[in-house]
Amino acid sequence: MKNIFYILLLISQVFYAQTGFEKGNLLYQNGKYEEAAKAYESVLDGNQESVELYFNLGNCYYKQHQTASAIYNYEKALVLDPADKDVLNNIKFAQKQTIDEIKVVPKVGFAKLLRDFTGIYPFDTWAWITVSFAFLFLLFFMGYYFYQAVTVKRIFFVGMFVILLLILMSLSAAFFEKSHFDNERPAIVFAESADVRSEPQNASSTTFVLHPGTKVYVEETLGNWKKIQLTDGTEGWIDSRSIKEVKD
Amino acid sequence: MKRHLILFLLCFQGLLAQVQFEARVSKTTLGLNERLRIDFVMNIDGDNFAQPSFDGFRIIAGPSQQVSQSWINGKTSFEKSYSYFLLPNQKGTLVIKQAMIEYNGQIYKTQPIRINVTAATEQPRDPNDSQVSADDNLYLVADISNTNPYINQPITVVYKLYFNNIGIRGFEELSKPKYNDFWNQNIDIKQLVPEEGMFKGEQYRYVVLRKTVLYPQKSGKLTIEPLSLNIGVQLPTNRRDIFGRVILVEDSKRVSAGTKTINVKPLPETGKPLDFTGAVGRFDFKAIPSKTTLKNGESLDLVLSVAGTGNLKLFTLPKPEVPNALEMYDPVHDEKVNTPLSGMTGKISDSYTIIPQYKGDYVIKPMHFSYFDLGTGTYKTISSKEIKISVLDGPAQTAEASATAGAGKNRIAGVEQFKYIDLKTELTAREKSVFFGSDKFYGLLFLPFLLLPIIVLFKKKKEAIDSDVFGNRIKMNNRLAKKYLSEAKKQINNKEPFYVALEKAMHNFLKAKLHIETSEMSKDNIRELLLSRKASPEAVSHFIALTENCEIARYAPSSSATIQHDFDKAVAIISELEKQI
Repeated sequence: MKNIFYILLLISQVFYAQTGFEKGNLLYQNGKYEEAAKAYESVLDGNQESVELYFNLGNCYYKQHQTASAIYNYEKALVLDPADKDVLNNIKFAQKQTIDEIKVVPKVGFAKLLRDFTGIYPFDTWAWITVSFAFLFLLFFMGYYFYQAVTVKRIFFVGMFVILLLILMSLSAAFFEKSHFDNERPAIVFAESADVRSEPQNASSTTFVLHPGTKVYVEETLGNWKKIQLTDGTEGWIDSRSIKEVKD
Repeated sequence: MKRHLILFLLCFQGLLAQVQFEARVSKTTLGLNERLRIDFVMNIDGDNFAQPSFDGFRIIAGPSQQVSQSWINGKTSFEKSYSYFLLPNQKGTLVIKQAMIEYNGQIYKTQPIRINVTAATEQPRDPNDSQVSADDNLYLVADISNTNPYINQPITVVYKLYFNNIGIRGFEELSKPKYNDFWNQNIDIKQLVPEEGMFKGEQYRYVVLRKTVLYPQKSGKLTIEPLSLNIGVQLPTNRRDIFGRVILVEDSKRVSAGTKTINVKPLPETGKPLDFTGAVGRFDFKAIPSKTTLKNGESLDLVLSVAGTGNLKLFTLPKPEVPNALEMYDPVHDEKVNTPLSGMTGKISDSYTIIPQYKGDYVIKPMHFSYFDLGTGTYKTISSKEIKISVLDGPAQTAEASATAGAGKNRIAGVEQFKYIDLKTELTAREKSVFFGSDKFYGLLFLPFLLLPIIVLFKKKKEAIDSDVFGNRIKMNNRLAKKYLSEAKKQINNKEPFYVALEKAMHNFLKAKLHIETSEMSKDNIRELLLSRKASPEAVSHFIALTENCEIARYAPSSSATIQHDFDKAVAIISELEKQI
């Protein structure tokens, strides 16, 4: 009896969440962006998420000209799926609304090539690829072991080593992506004007001022201060209350 | 003779006495409006007196020469002096240089004297002075509207010259007032107009000489250095000319307004807005765009203006913050400010030129302008409205516009557009478990490698079984024996195939049991082998009889009962032999 009750509860929750999403869509369609945002937020409060949910929420905030919130939600969507075309398209629109214009300095060299390759899949996908390679290896071994014809045997033998290399490659790609995911901490500036200082003290001089919607990368945390890096490589300390981290 | 004696004595005395030549001043520190008396005194009768150049002074009397000689108790003293009355022209340290005389072919010089001239002082009244009437009837007054203002609160200083019963010929400025730490604006007075007013309880005539508006720039005690004037006056005397008119005596008189101290209050810190830039007064703030809907390539002007009364020239206007898709150029600053005595009024404005770069709707956030209201003594903030700008065309569209297209055709260009919301989704729990690095991941990763030795072992076992040829043959013959026996059972109604199958079954049984080939199969051989395996002779003879019977029965007519009997018999013999061997 109790189990049934729990299952019912779970189902109703899923149902409720889905209706929250659909309610949001309906409100968005009628141009009630503020209420639509609330409906989408209620789904998030139910501890559920999806790329589309963050995307729609970002659209709501964009329509309300709340640039910082819009970019924040688009970035959240991109954490789940870094290659979503719609999100990448709309975040460009939101970024044009921001006040700060910070150049994105392209990274070059071997590290960039490596990151470009490993960035094709998130680390969990790499993990699955590794596992499937491991099973493929088993198949090749069996082929090598049981086949009688010499040519076939040879092909399987060479294939085995190729797959072993592939396993190592995808495994290291997974490790690389995981460490990149853990170390990269993007954040969005929310304060109307946030002073970036050269030292984590109020007395130190202000190096520059950031405005809402600007994306920064958090490098270190010290008390109420966070060391940030901009996309053009500039560094400084910022009050942690003026930014919101995307992966928290 | 007597004359010669006196002369001799004089000479003698002169030789004995020390020659003294010095300059004496009445005081070494004096105000700009005070006089200095200087005497050059010697105790000899020197010749060719050369006066120094009195740089920075004006000689108002002198030189006057004075000689005195006295005999007291037979002692003779001689003194000769040249006196001057000087008036300083400027403030600061002035030096009176050396004066020279010649005596007996020798040149004597005085020491130079330093005189410190300070700002004009108010002179004490001297009842015996001939200029009493001028002192009593001529005043220079600095009227200060407020001696306790806030920073940037305008105050006015009006210099008025009060005079009574005397005539004024003209005046000359000796030192201009200095307004350190003030922003000042002089208000020109085109014509001096005498007016009447009360001063010290009496009716006086006065002239406004100078009006200045001051904005203190620093808190604390600030001093205004006084204005000093040299005024040519006409003093009435008691004498009258033959027509009965009062005879006027011309004179000059120095007046100064005295140093004024102003105590400037700082602006209160409580409630001071963050964006306060020092505006004090009463203002109105506006931000007006020239247009809000525009096409690509057009520009708009955003004018921020502050109008009102206050220190308009002394603060900066807020800067608008625009999205980076709008390109904003440096502003054109414009000031239309009048400065009457009440302080600056007018309007200042910054005009920004903004050129949009991409299509879309943009918002320029409200701007805030804060000022300190002197009327209420509090800070006030005025916010402009949010400005919405919509840009109709994007640059992407214009790039393709020139492409040739049939007239009247609606070309659909691939324009970048803001994507609509997604209508379908698959929600997942927020705290997803990570597969990579989990036990499941490592389990699945190593499972194929753990399976490798198992496969190897399995194959080894299989090979071992395959390599046992003899055992395999027995197994095969046994299997064949069973197979043919069951076939025989199926063919129990057809005589010929039944006996063929039965014979094959028995042959294969022998092959499996006796490990012999078909070529070795002769009756004798079989008997011998079976007996040597301790089969009972009875069973052996039965077996052989049955094989022979199979051959015969294939061609001889037999009933189905015999067939059944043969089958049963075969099964019985085979099972018996199975037990025995």
